[in-house]
Amino acid sequence: MLILKNVTKSFGGIIATNDVSMKLKPGSINAIIGPNGAGKTTLFNLITGKIKNDAGQIFIEDKNITGLSELQITHLGVARAFQITNIFPSFSVKESITAAILAKNHGLNNIWKRFKDHPAQEESKNIAAITGLDEVFNIQSDELSHGDQKLLDIALALAMKPQVLLLDEPTAGMGSEERWKMINRVKDLWKKTNMTLVFIEHDMDIVFNVAQKIYVLHQGEILAEGSPKSIKNNQNVIDAYLGGGQKKNEST
Amino acid sequence: MNVSIKDSFKKDAIYSVVSWIALLSLYFIFNDHGIQDIITKVAILGLFAMSLNILIGYLGLIAFGHATFFAAGAYTLGLFLQSDFIIEYNIGSWSIPIALSLSVLLPGILATIVGVICIRLREIYFSFLTLAFQMIFYSLILALVGITGGDQGLMGGFPKPPFLGIDLGIHFHFYAFTTFIVILAVFLMRQIIESPFGYGLRMIRDNHERPAALGFNIRSHQLLAFIIAGSLAGLAGSLQALLDVGAYPEWAFWSKSAEPLFMILLGGMQTFLGPLLGALIFELLNDFVSANTRYYGLILGLVILIFVLGFKKGLLDWIVIRGRKN
Ligand SMILES: Nc1ncnc2c1ncn2[C@@H]1O[C@H](COP(=O)(O)OP(=O)(O)O)[C@@H](O)[C@H]1O
Ligand SMILES: [Mg+2]
Repeated sequence: MLILKNVTKSFGGIIATNDVSMKLKPGSINAIIGPNGAGKTTLFNLITGKIKNDAGQIFIEDKNITGLSELQITHLGVARAFQITNIFPSFSVKESITAAILAKNHGLNNIWKRFKDHPAQEESKNIAAITGLDEVFNIQSDELSHGDQKLLDIALALAMKPQVLLLDEPTAGMGSEERWKMINRVKDLWKKTNMTLVFIEHDMDIVFNVAQKIYVLHQGEILAEGSPKSIKNNQNVIDAYLGGGQKKNEST
Repeated sequence: MNVSIKDSFKKDAIYSVVSWIALLSLYFIFNDHGIQDIITKVAILGLFAMSLNILIGYLGLIAFGHATFFAAGAYTLGLFLQSDFIIEYNIGSWSIPIALSLSVLLPGILATIVGVICIRLREIYFSFLTLAFQMIFYSLILALVGITGGDQGLMGGFPKPPFLGIDLGIHFHFYAFTTFIVILAVFLMRQIIESPFGYGLRMIRDNHERPAALGFNIRSHQLLAFIIAGSLAGLAGSLQALLDVGAYPEWAFWSKSAEPLFMILLGGMQTFLGPLLGALIFELLNDFVSANTRYYGLILGLVILIFVLGFKKGLLDWIVIRGRKN
């Protein structure tokens, strides 16, 4: 279980995260929505220890992870994929996933083995298969399509065998059809494991269809939270997004 | 699985032995001290350049101060062989092996100290910080006249007592020994570069932001790479000191750090042996051009321009990429 208690973070004058509390059920699939600049990515950065919060606390199970480093938190079972694809351009898919598996197991310190003959190469095949990258297994990352690069980013996170997986806009930069393909794949992944999954997404249709619980973020604050149904009927949300059309531009 | 691990290791071991035998044959084919010495020098400079390329080609950090460790190795060897220590403790025939070991160890310790500070930074800040350490080291060599001989360098030579039947005073012995040590070091480097550790370096080069989110501590990885590169540069420096029977402050000057950079540019940084080929081109230019004209710098500059603008990469990189296309 991932718990946030009154987490706050500001950058200079901007309050990016304002008194945010969350409780994510183990094995649940959750979505965060909100306009650009609402503080969604910042929230992921805070959970993963990439940046430190000014106030509040973060827990995994009973363990207080507030103030731990990104490295430590990764080893405690929190993994993420990034909004802007964050991969290793000169590595093939196979090499990338193998390297990620080794990273997780402290295997990159080994000087005596050969990377190309490492047993982790075999394991990487499984991760490529469940992310749908088996057909491009030997292709260099920077030659992959945008969608496959996004999948590779997720595959790297999966190599961490995480308890909690955070996906920052997995469908960013995709057309409608491709979006659905991607999100269905994500949902499949989630079903096959017992991960707690959180994804950030702009497309309301997708969010309402896929997520069990939705958090609506607005100027760093949680405007509403709950099941898709309750969010659809929430007056604050309707005012801010659903009914009022393009009001969201004002908030950035 | 185990079989293939041994296979690629074995293959490189066989290449190494074959290369050594080939170099020994060259000694007799070119029965000429001039050419033989060029091969020795290329081996030493190639090792120096390859050690720097661990940082540049694989880690993606451009170190401007690599000659610090080359000079540290050279002075370590020279000072040890000159010291009374050898006579007092009657080390005799062990003095060269011990001197060489120290010439890897002490530059490695120096690289630890310099590395801890420098690898906190990236890009141009890293580069300039390594340069700053080099200038401090150079100044120390000049200032400590009593030990280093200041701007004159280590004077008076040093003994090279035979060990295990190897007498470095004999020209062929020196040639065979130096090429052996260099090939051994290159073999080790190959193992490191092809190991999971070596791929960790490439990860950092490709993307230094992502590793933390994969639980990969890049700080200690970078430091270890810096220490390995420094130790191997120290070894190259100590072989140079053995060859010249001395050590000189110019070896710690910034222009000495530029030499392996040129070699990497000439030979290629993406291919394992690129810098070695670069060292050969560099040395040939050096020997033939400076023998015939005073415009060495001009010619070197033009050749580098041709490589950078014409091939857009080092020679071996260019060849390998062309080979792949065909
Ligand atoms: N590292 C940072 N330094 C300064 N300001 C930042 C930083 N990261 C985010 N911000 C600011 O915090 C706010 C929230 O950003 P972000 O979390 O990226 O929003 P979202 O992901 O919801 O689009 C924005 O105003 C952004 O400019
Ligand atoms: Mg964002």
